[in-house]
Amino acid sequence: MAKQTFTTGQVLTAAQMTSLQQTAMGGGSTTDKTTSYVLVAADAGTTVIMNAAGATTITVNTALFAAGDTVNIQNIGAGICTITAGTATVNTAGSLALSQYEGGVLYFRSASAATFFDYVQTGSVSPLTTKGDLYGFSTLDARIPIGTNNQVLTADSAQALGLKWATPTAVDKNFSLVSSTAFSGSTFTVTGLSGDNLFFQIVGVTNSSASQAFRMRFNTDSSSKYGNASFGYESASAYSANNAQTISNAPDSFASIQLGWFSNNTASAYSGTVMVSGANTAGLKPVQFGGGFGAGGGNTHSSYIGGGIYSGTSAITSVSFIVASGTYASGTLYVYKG
Amino acid sequence: MTQYEVIHNVQTNEMTEKEYTKEQIAEANALQLEAEKRAENIAKVEAAKASALAKLAALGLSADEIAAL
Repeated sequence: MAKQTFTTGQVLTAAQMTSLQQTAMGGGSTTDKTTSYVLVAADAGTTVIMNAAGATTITVNTALFAAGDTVNIQNIGAGICTITAGTATVNTAGSLALSQYEGGVLYFRSASAATFFDYVQTGSVSPLTTKGDLYGFSTLDARIPIGTNNQVLTADSAQALGLKWATPTAVDKNFSLVSSTAFSGSTFTVTGLSGDNLFFQIVGVTNSSASQAFRMRFNTDSSSKYGNASFGYESASAYSANNAQTISNAPDSFASIQLGWFSNNTASAYSGTVMVSGANTAGLKPVQFGGGFGAGGGNTHSSYIGGGIYSGTSAITSVSFIVASGTYASGTLYVYKG
Repeated sequence: MTQYEVIHNVQTNEMTEKEYTKEQIAEANALQLEAEKRAENIAKVEAAKASALAKLAALGLSADEIAAL
């Protein structure tokens, strides 16, 4: 027997009173719903129990209930039961998604608006169980278990709760040796390079033709994408420590980086280093270099420190060392990346 | 001497040699010209310096006095 409007002098039977106790007065038994359910007017004052293994909904529509009507709702099934606003409005400060054995009261403020008060049961307030757990949410509150030491919390839409603890990718900024190769040829090129930063150590390079400039180039790019200047000193005549002059080189020919000049003796040897920052980026790539050319019995002994840029947009995958004449007679190139 | 390029692929460790292209030869010639001009300029400066030192010595300056300039 659903909620009634009684009239003066009406006499209730025992059966009617029993029915009222079981329905409109909120007591007695009720038949479980095993599939999604749309509330009807006769549910006013009753208890609706959902019992389904899968997810279900209880839909609330307008013009069925009056202000002050209530409907008790329980979910005893394993599937989540969600109270859903159909044509009516349903508000709550809690959750409209009921896990197994959760419940609450749907109170109608008007024929078209209701408030759902979900019961907060002892033991179900928080899903957290373990030190470090986080409070997460999918379609309902849930626990994000603490990860292991040094893991970091990472957004991951593939996870049920959208988050996971994951070991961060190692970022190794230590430089490691890629190759060591003897200089040879008129142009010596190393290919297959990669890395955020490249470091070149050049040891004991000599050339069969004296008085040559020693240059380097990236990606065999001979276009005007280089700029560099250097500062240092070189002897002006027969080498002597007291016969040195300060020099500066203006920006280069812009087709390569100029590291300096061999002396007028083929025994003149260069040793130095070159650092290229951001070698795998599309932006400007700063280049710093420093080194010296031994006189080798020739007149000039020089050393330079310098810097510049390479403005090519491709990542650096190769480097070439160029002399205009002769071939490299000795020397080793060590390539490091980091 | 024929100019050539030596290429070392650090990923495969393969070493290859190839003769200069026309563009590389042209660039090498231009750079060589630049080197020769630089050497000539150095020689001119050195000659001028030697001449200046000789003239200073002829004026009676000692080697220490010239070095002190």
